[in-house]
Amino acid sequence: MNPPAAKDAPASFYEAHKKIYPREIDGRFQRLRNLAVWVLLGLYYLLPWVPWDGRQSVLFDLPARKFYVFGLVFWPQDFFYLTWLLVILGLSLFFFTALAGRLWCGYACPQTVWTDVFMSIERRIEGDRNRRLKLDRGPWTGEKILRKGSKHLAWALLALWTGFTFVGFFTPIQELAAKVVSLSTGPWETFWVLFYSFATWGNAGLMREQVCKYMCPYARFQSAMFDQDTLIIAYDTGRGEPRGARARTADRKSRGLGDCIDCKACVQVCPTGIDIREGLQYECIACAACIDACDAVMDKMNYPRGLVRYTSQKSLEGGGTTVVRPRMIVYGGLLALLVIGFIVSISMRTPVGLDVMRDRNALYRKLPDGVIENVYLLRILNKDTATHRYVLTAAGLPGIEIDAGMTEHVVGPGEVYSVAARVRVPAAPAGGSHEIEIHAASPDAPRLKASRTARFLGP
Amino acid sequence: MRVDDEPAPEEGPEEEPRQVAWSQLAQDTAVTLWPSFLAASVATMFFFAFFDPSLFGEGAVPPRWLAHRMAGYAVGFFFFWAICTLSSALTLYLVRTASRPGTHPRR
Repeated sequence: MNPPAAKDAPASFYEAHKKIYPREIDGRFQRLRNLAVWVLLGLYYLLPWVPWDGRQSVLFDLPARKFYVFGLVFWPQDFFYLTWLLVILGLSLFFFTALAGRLWCGYACPQTVWTDVFMSIERRIEGDRNRRLKLDRGPWTGEKILRKGSKHLAWALLALWTGFTFVGFFTPIQELAAKVVSLSTGPWETFWVLFYSFATWGNAGLMREQVCKYMCPYARFQSAMFDQDTLIIAYDTGRGEPRGARARTADRKSRGLGDCIDCKACVQVCPTGIDIREGLQYECIACAACIDACDAVMDKMNYPRGLVRYTSQKSLEGGGTTVVRPRMIVYGGLLALLVIGFIVSISMRTPVGLDVMRDRNALYRKLPDGVIENVYLLRILNKDTATHRYVLTAAGLPGIEIDAGMTEHVVGPGEVYSVAARVRVPAAPAGGSHEIEIHAASPDAPRLKASRTARFLGP
Repeated sequence: MRVDDEPAPEEGPEEEPRQVAWSQLAQDTAVTLWPSFLAASVATMFFFAFFDPSLFGEGAVPPRWLAHRMAGYAVGFFFFWAICTLSSALTLYLVRTASRPGTHPRR
């Protein structure tokens, strides 16, 4: 009996998280999802191992502050491109969401992809849905400990490999592998491998659909990008209702039933545990598992497929779906412009940078015959993947000349080349301070040139 | 998928409760930590694109232990995450404790 004081209080503020046991399914969309998982995870796990020009093909070399993406090298000065890329990715999300709903969630989101892999491991070790339910309800027998233990071991190994690969994108993976084998990874490498492994294990093994429901901002605002023509996964209420169980041979018309046999297959396969027949819900990650489940049932019942299908709000209400519509033209046009601009801009990028710093020790020096000299520290950045020669020149004052020890400076690929340069003018310019330009140009190719302005001081 | 002449509505041992939810505490933790993680990632990216932690080593500027780039990045990231978590948590707290029409008796 409850004490009277507790009568009006809610039983608990905290509703317990009930675990979802999605049933495995085969079908067109499941095969498409499997393909996406293989391609995306294949890229993730293998790309760092692919060599390119004698180095790692994709390496965001944080210790060296250089990003290698196949033939391209990006420097912190190229941060602009990263911002541009993020804008392109954001706009793509708008475009594809307006076109076909939550494609990202269903097929490409790392959360979905890794959850898929972790669930398939679970299935292989603990058995299908019913066996998992029984196992979880049953007592802690030796078999249960063995199955649960080996599941977590397999999860942990995959998570560790994932964490290792993640760090391998930021520090050369072959060296990292050698360090892991000899147990000599640095403290931060160890930390990030474990951090990312733990995140993978927690996200894909334990939290799963809760991440989409409670943590994902996209899940909340994606509906703002939807319109009546956006592809959604929906249950055809007009065709399905009234739902009800019946024999395969029964005449559903005479019984007054719709096509839905209320077998709940669509509910059982749902990774987020919703009932698609209740309409579009923000928990739906558009994985299309319910379409596969329902199609299989419809086939067995000799009913036409598509009681649950990809469709649009407009077509559910009896209209057709318009793919080319103003929203798509605007999103698509902007996206195309940005992508073309990005490609053109990267291909026309000047792979040389020049920094000019004044020597701090002296403002200027008077040489015999009235010559005035300023000293600068120059830095030539060769962002190209080949070695180049550079010639330095100065301009902006009559008779100005630059002396940096030699006429040509050889800068290796990815090298930051520092040299002290003496800039002289034959006579002291009037007015003390003047703006001059320093150029670095390579005779190897006309596009290899950079200029910087600097202050030239006189008496 | 097995469908007999009389399709069984449910093959499992029994109907599962489909109402699934995280506890309030788990939700609060998640909505505090995750958005701040995202914001901290962006902040770290922007900050370190323009700032090289190895510059701490130049001269005798006090936090010289940060001069190692990997340490600098990591400490920077967790610093941003902590600050962003604080902001998320305060926002959550203020939203939670705001008085809404009808929640207080009329004076």
